[in-house]
Amino acid sequence: MSVKQLLILAPTFVSLFLLQSYFWVPTFEDQARGDPGRLTRYIQSSIGDASILNPTLSADSASAAINSLVFEGLIDRDMDLSFRGRLAESWRIFEEAYLVVDGSERLPDGTPATPEGLVRHLERARAAKHPSLRLVERIEVEPAEAVTAELEAEPAAPGKPAKVAQVTLRRPPRLKFTLTEVDQDFFARLDRLLGGYITRLDPRRFLDPALPPALRAQAAELIPPAEHNPVIVFQLRRGVRFHDGHEFDSGDVKFTYETILDPKNLSPRVPDFEPVKSVEPQGPYAVRITYKRLFQPGFESWGMGILPEHRLNREALRKEALALGRDPERFSVRDSRFNRSPIGTGPFRFVEWKTDQYVRLTRNEDYWEGPPNFREFYFRIIPDLLTTELTFYAGTTDEYGAQPHQVSRLRDDPRFKYYSGLALGYSYIGYNMRRPVFQDVRVRKALGMAINVQEIIDYVLYGQAEGTTGPYPRQTDFYDPTVAPLPYDPAGALRLLEEAGYRRNAGGWLQKDGKPLAFTLITNSGNEIRSAIMAIAQNAWRRLGVKVETLALEWAVFINERVDKGDFDAVVLGWSMGLDADLYQIFHSSQTGHFQLNFVGYSNPRADDLMVRIRQEYDPGRQVAMARELHRLIAEDQPYTFLYVGKWTQLFDRKIARLVPGPDGTSRYAPIVTTKLGSPKFHFTQWIKVPHPVDFPVHAAN
Amino acid sequence: MLPFLVRTAWKKLWTLFFISIISFGIIHLAPGQPSQIDPLNPRFTPQQLERYRQAFGLDQPLYVQYARFYQQFFTGELRSFKDNQPVFGKIVERTRNSLPLFILGTILIWCYAFPLGIATAVRRNTLFDRSTTVLVFALISIPGFYLAYLAIIFVVQTFQVDVIGLRTFGREGIGPWYAMMDRTWHLVLPSLMGAAAGIAVLSRYVRSQRLAVISADYVRTARSKGLDEDRVLYRHALRNGLLPFVTMLGLLIPGLIGGSVIFETIFAWPGIGRLGYEAILARDYPVVISINFIAAVLTLIGTLVSDLLYMLVDPRIRL
Repeated sequence: MSVKQLLILAPTFVSLFLLQSYFWVPTFEDQARGDPGRLTRYIQSSIGDASILNPTLSADSASAAINSLVFEGLIDRDMDLSFRGRLAESWRIFEEAYLVVDGSERLPDGTPATPEGLVRHLERARAAKHPSLRLVERIEVEPAEAVTAELEAEPAAPGKPAKVAQVTLRRPPRLKFTLTEVDQDFFARLDRLLGGYITRLDPRRFLDPALPPALRAQAAELIPPAEHNPVIVFQLRRGVRFHDGHEFDSGDVKFTYETILDPKNLSPRVPDFEPVKSVEPQGPYAVRITYKRLFQPGFESWGMGILPEHRLNREALRKEALALGRDPERFSVRDSRFNRSPIGTGPFRFVEWKTDQYVRLTRNEDYWEGPPNFREFYFRIIPDLLTTELTFYAGTTDEYGAQPHQVSRLRDDPRFKYYSGLALGYSYIGYNMRRPVFQDVRVRKALGMAINVQEIIDYVLYGQAEGTTGPYPRQTDFYDPTVAPLPYDPAGALRLLEEAGYRRNAGGWLQKDGKPLAFTLITNSGNEIRSAIMAIAQNAWRRLGVKVETLALEWAVFINERVDKGDFDAVVLGWSMGLDADLYQIFHSSQTGHFQLNFVGYSNPRADDLMVRIRQEYDPGRQVAMARELHRLIAEDQPYTFLYVGKWTQLFDRKIARLVPGPDGTSRYAPIVTTKLGSPKFHFTQWIKVPHPVDFPVHAAN
Repeated sequence: MLPFLVRTAWKKLWTLFFISIISFGIIHLAPGQPSQIDPLNPRFTPQQLERYRQAFGLDQPLYVQYARFYQQFFTGELRSFKDNQPVFGKIVERTRNSLPLFILGTILIWCYAFPLGIATAVRRNTLFDRSTTVLVFALISIPGFYLAYLAIIFVVQTFQVDVIGLRTFGREGIGPWYAMMDRTWHLVLPSLMGAAAGIAVLSRYVRSQRLAVISADYVRTARSKGLDEDRVLYRHALRNGLLPFVTMLGLLIPGLIGGSVIFETIFAWPGIGRLGYEAILARDYPVVISINFIAAVLTLIGTLVSDLLYMLVDPRIRL
């Protein structure tokens, strides 16, 4: 063979060999060719890899997605967003309330307030069916007690840790009330019955006069005159086993709580569990959780995945540390190999994690609700957005979150089915109310009225968003649908500003007392949607005659230097919200300091009161009523111009269906149903892929 | 010969030593912290940050860190900050993934560039030559990632088959032939994309090299002897023209570990290039510095190999 022939034949042969391989690869419609098992595998993609597969330590969404399949909490949210038991079968919430007895005080009948006198007085009122004692089940006396605590004698200075002093206090005897349900107004009502006894209580009276003055205020906090202790008793599901066969029990719940609170573990979940006073197992199948104070949003945190104690307790960690040649004293749960090969009680067990490639799970045959239909679950890491989309078209991932501009094109594609819903978060323009211009509600309202939100939704978000009028997710009951959105009315906005004292000057700019209405609107750079909103708002306001400058700042500077320090006029931002009614951190006037979340400086005494009461209210009906009132108040005050809530659209292969057991013992295919949030994955354990798309209802072979 | 080898090896060891210091220093000069330390996370208190720095040994003076690093590196104890896996195992595994891509890419470059270069040189200034020139310069100037996206979109939309990753993801339990062809198919696009610029550049080299040789005296002599054109072109001219390309073979070696960051990221290919790139983003110092060091070693070996190869093919050179 001559060199010439070789030079022609070699590339030809290589090309042909490579191209023919195409015929051995399955198409989207024919994924099961050569591999029927593909129908029992579910593949989800993610841009980023998981970081730590331990629900008490993870803080990123990729880890959370896997943890939610491997681990399970005591409770979760049902289809209608109410709570439903998982590892807990049922629960009861009641309250224990404590009232300090101060013998130097007198009761309404003139007798000294001794423990016995108080009890006698209250029992008499109870026998007379006094309404303030309606919920009281039992009244007991607790004797005086010594309380030891560490107090901060000198606050921490840069480079110097806080100086700590150990103090022992004598707590006077207390009355303990057991209430059938939580009642935040219990003491207020009781106070009326006792003729102002509770109001007059002053904890400083119980302190040792020798205590240094620097410590007195802190010490007084340790002896609250009246204390609410909400209690949750969970009855646990029996016979649930971890993936290694060990049975789940109340010790695991206690252990999970302790893992979070152990400072060595640096858990990001500490704020959720800090209000918990104690977690006590009551036999293997019940656990009693007592809170230090009223904190209703804390209930939801028991959806946290439960860890297996026998794998991570002190003994197990010690063994692991020694095996790895590490110092057992410094070895924490965070260092354990468990975080890369987790064991939980969830519907899928962990198999393998290849960094930056995939995490592989297999179904838990022993799952208490019956094994999932999918035999395997892959969490596949694809670092690029466009290739993520194309792997979905090629059938090698099973779901894809469409970008707003793709939705209209993809929702009619016969290969896919789509689900969409409103996001829980919202976008807004926030006004720094420390600035004099924004202290007038008419100015804030006028600025909101000048912006055509519909235009933003239609052109910036391709219609994939809806307006919102307040701080709660639209799907929750806390959102008051009767609140009217701010109208788009530039003329009305101008009238409002004139009412507020602004007049156009010769140059066409609005001014008051010789000072023009001028400010700077900022946001973080790199977010095209926010930049577009900024431009639209600037344009709308300039047409009114407001001098607006805009500025996009790099994220770290934007957050740390401007927003957290309150150093801005107006800001375009968004919140992602949870499903609870608690807005304390975002809108309460006590949360306006540096690095706190009420950075716009919103303050309204009525709203403050509502926010405190909402987080203390355990009755859903009353909580909803208060939340709606709060929504109306905030909408009235307009600390933000509420812009929109985004819409997500999730696409799935049309061959995915649910396979559910029928009444006669056979299995049948059923359509996918969505929760109140629009999410289709609620029944994920029932999902399966069928070889070809089916219409419903279809009976499958058992 | 032997003295030459000893001398070179000694020189290269010194070079390596300085490279190790520079690469260690540069990564520590770069702003940012290992990924588990997230300064933007408000939940990170300064104490927690300090604890992480201690755990990673980042609180030690740089020269101590340097000594500890290379001690761990040579004993194979080095572990990634990111997932606590041994660095060496990770590099071996990722290199193994990159290897087919690298080999096929090289085959494609050399298979296509030579015929193309020779054909354009022989048909100089014809329509074929000019249109090829346009195409080649287009390939050189179009950014590779853009071309890759176009190719992926075209293939997936038209043929509805997967092209991302090592193989059709989630397809298991298939026969060995299916499995092999599946892997082969997944090699086609990334290696072609990776090779495109290489083909373009190398074919230009070949073309100009050929043009220089074709007008050389000894070629004219061969022609005047009455040899047929093929024999002149492919025997007499080609042999001498190959010389510069032999040295290029040696320089290919460091490409083994360099991989291709862009194409491995676009094609979700778990190769060494992506490992390095993601390690840089996460400030995973052990992985970054190790890859850097190994790449330096391979580069030095590569230059040595090309020196030796040159000596082998060109009898005029004696070291």
